[in-house]
Amino acid sequence: MKLLQNSGIPIYQQIAEQLRADILAGKLKEGEYLPSIRGLARDLRISVITTMKAYEQLEAEGLVTAAQGKGFYVNAQDSEMLKEQHLRKVEEALLEAIRAAEIARMTEEELLGTLQALLHMEESRDTGD
Amino acid sequence: MKEGRRNAIQVCGLKKKYRGFELSVPRLDVPEGFATALIGENGAGKTTLLNILTGIRRDFKGDVTYFGEERKLNAQTQECIGYTGPGCYFLPNWTVDQVEEISSLLFSGFHNDRFRSLCKELGIKRGLVRDVKKLSDGNRMKLMLAAALARDTQLLILDEPASPLDPLMRDKLCDMIREYLERGNGKRSVFFSTHNIADMENVTDYAVILEHGNVVEEGFVEDLKEKYICVKGEAADGERAGEILFSVSKNAYGFEGICLAENLDRLAGMDVAVETPTLSQISVAVMKANTGLKL
Repeated sequence: MKLLQNSGIPIYQQIAEQLRADILAGKLKEGEYLPSIRGLARDLRISVITTMKAYEQLEAEGLVTAAQGKGFYVNAQDSEMLKEQHLRKVEEALLEAIRAAEIARMTEEELLGTLQALLHMEESRDTGD
Repeated sequence: MKEGRRNAIQVCGLKKKYRGFELSVPRLDVPEGFATALIGENGAGKTTLLNILTGIRRDFKGDVTYFGEERKLNAQTQECIGYTGPGCYFLPNWTVDQVEEISSLLFSGFHNDRFRSLCKELGIKRGLVRDVKKLSDGNRMKLMLAAALARDTQLLILDEPASPLDPLMRDKLCDMIREYLERGNGKRSVFFSTHNIADMENVTDYAVILEHGNVVEEGFVEDLKEKYICVKGEAADGERAGEILFSVSKNAYGFEGICLAENLDRLAGMDVAVETPTLSQISVAVMKANTGLKL
């Protein structure tokens, strides 16, 4: 896990973000326990309250559940919700691209053309290896 | 995070009067399982408070209980508390070996092997003919830390542990505090005073700011970082912003200050940028707002 001290993004959000990505990608599986709060604080060299806040955020999002005295375990991920989460990510990224395209004064055709070209590139790379 | 929380130390109605100074703490809870920093100006009463909590000072009014169990300070409680302070409680002519020998006689939970490995880890040279009085301030602090950490305790009370240490050792101190907390699995706590807030920020869970013998601010650091906000703006707005901000510093190019997050909308219409403050910025702002000094 990489934490940046001066990125402007609070440390607890950086932790939550990276654990969230691991959960959604299935790297952390259903029922699996997250590292202990104080253990993670020690390993990441940050305060206990920061890791605690990250875990509480994930709990509020319904990704993990706190088990009294045992820590936090990963919830079953609803496939619909998972898809929703990924969809939201796609939308956000595309919106960003649209805004950048506006600044560059690209036309709709140019923008769609770029998207298609990129899709082809990815496809050929996937079949390439 | 706050429900079902136990306190490592609970202070009720504490009063201690000196000539021209009074320490008055109606209520203070040091949460269990966390590292709590005690911050304040010189002469704010930090050492007096810590001395009362460790039992070095017993002439005070009020109640102090430990470990959420209404436990008073007695021999059994003191066995669970480790302390390091600005002075030195080892006799001046003791050698490192004698510190070990006497500590193991004094405390039933003292582990000689742990003390030796801590000495090694901290670079305290044993065997060399070295009286405690000949140690530098930094090495004396390291020796006290080794002696305190070699014991089985539930609470560490550290009075200015970082001050005499070099930057590398401060880093090590933070690691040792985190490790201490981790091994306790939520049952161990640390309460330390410090002026080196920036160095200790990444190990501070709860902060208590003391001014003129009064607690002027306290809370979990993550909550304080939401309560206060750091504001930067253009010089033209400096005057007006100064009335809203908690503490502000101005120059020809702009101003910078800390304000309560709830007052942020009163800055509407000004060209300002905001960011999350560090614990050091919050502490300095709160201290500035409460200090008797004209800065």
